[in-house]
Amino acid sequence: MTISPNEAGAMLADVEAVVARVKQSRIYRRAGEITILWGAIIVLGHLVAMAAPRWALWEWRAADLLGVVATFVLMLRGRSLAGTLFPLRLLGAFALFFVFGLAWSDLIGRFGPRELDAFWPTLFLFGYALAGLWFGAMFLALGLGLSGLILAGYFWSGEWFNLWLAIVNGGGFVLCGLWMRRA
Amino acid sequence: MNAPDETIHQPVRLRIMAALTALSARDEGLDFARLKSLTGATDGNLGAHIDHLARAGYVEVSKAFVARRPRTTVKASSAGRAAFARHVAFLREIIART
Repeated sequence: MTISPNEAGAMLADVEAVVARVKQSRIYRRAGEITILWGAIIVLGHLVAMAAPRWALWEWRAADLLGVVATFVLMLRGRSLAGTLFPLRLLGAFALFFVFGLAWSDLIGRFGPRELDAFWPTLFLFGYALAGLWFGAMFLALGLGLSGLILAGYFWSGEWFNLWLAIVNGGGFVLCGLWMRRA
Repeated sequence: MNAPDETIHQPVRLRIMAALTALSARDEGLDFARLKSLTGATDGNLGAHIDHLARAGYVEVSKAFVARRPRTTVKASSAGRAAFARHVAFLREIIART
């Protein structure tokens, strides 16, 4: 069998293209599972917050903790492709975003409940948009698209903002997660 | 110098092996539909190439019913991973010699 350097180069380029597609697809698949998980948590969180507004703060803290632990478990399951340190880095990124959010929403800023409801999801969607610059355009589309819808609800949904967030933010996460899993 | 692997050299089989070895050995493998989209092969063509690789001992094929639908999953064997690595090394050597 005789193979010219040009043929060998073309074959290696073909191999690299297929490997890149498989890895991208695996990233989307794992991220899709995490996105669906957070979508479900967001929907439930808003519904419980609407039913018992007095307990909303503690209910959200519990929901966030549950989400972080479940995310960590899902990341550990998928660490073979992403690398062993990736789940720890993701946990670190969560913590940094959370501390940044707490600093601005509780210490520096003077946000009302409506502003807080818009601030927290858009903060984490900003993280998705940033991730899109490295890991794939779907993250960018999710981050920017849902942020735009949340801001639209903030300005125009009136007293239905919580329901708007449950449907658009939570439901949007679930749909985007399903979209990612199919990629 | 490494020698070319006649089984893997064929373009569709090369793509199949590239896709399967991109996953870790712990991974469950790729299903038929995903392989079809990655290789651009038709159903019949892909099936024939998977059979060829399975006969060489390079892939393991498992069939199951998921949500009442048949699902074929293909996974690279350790022999397949080693053969693919040797073939890629062979291709790199050709380029390195120029």
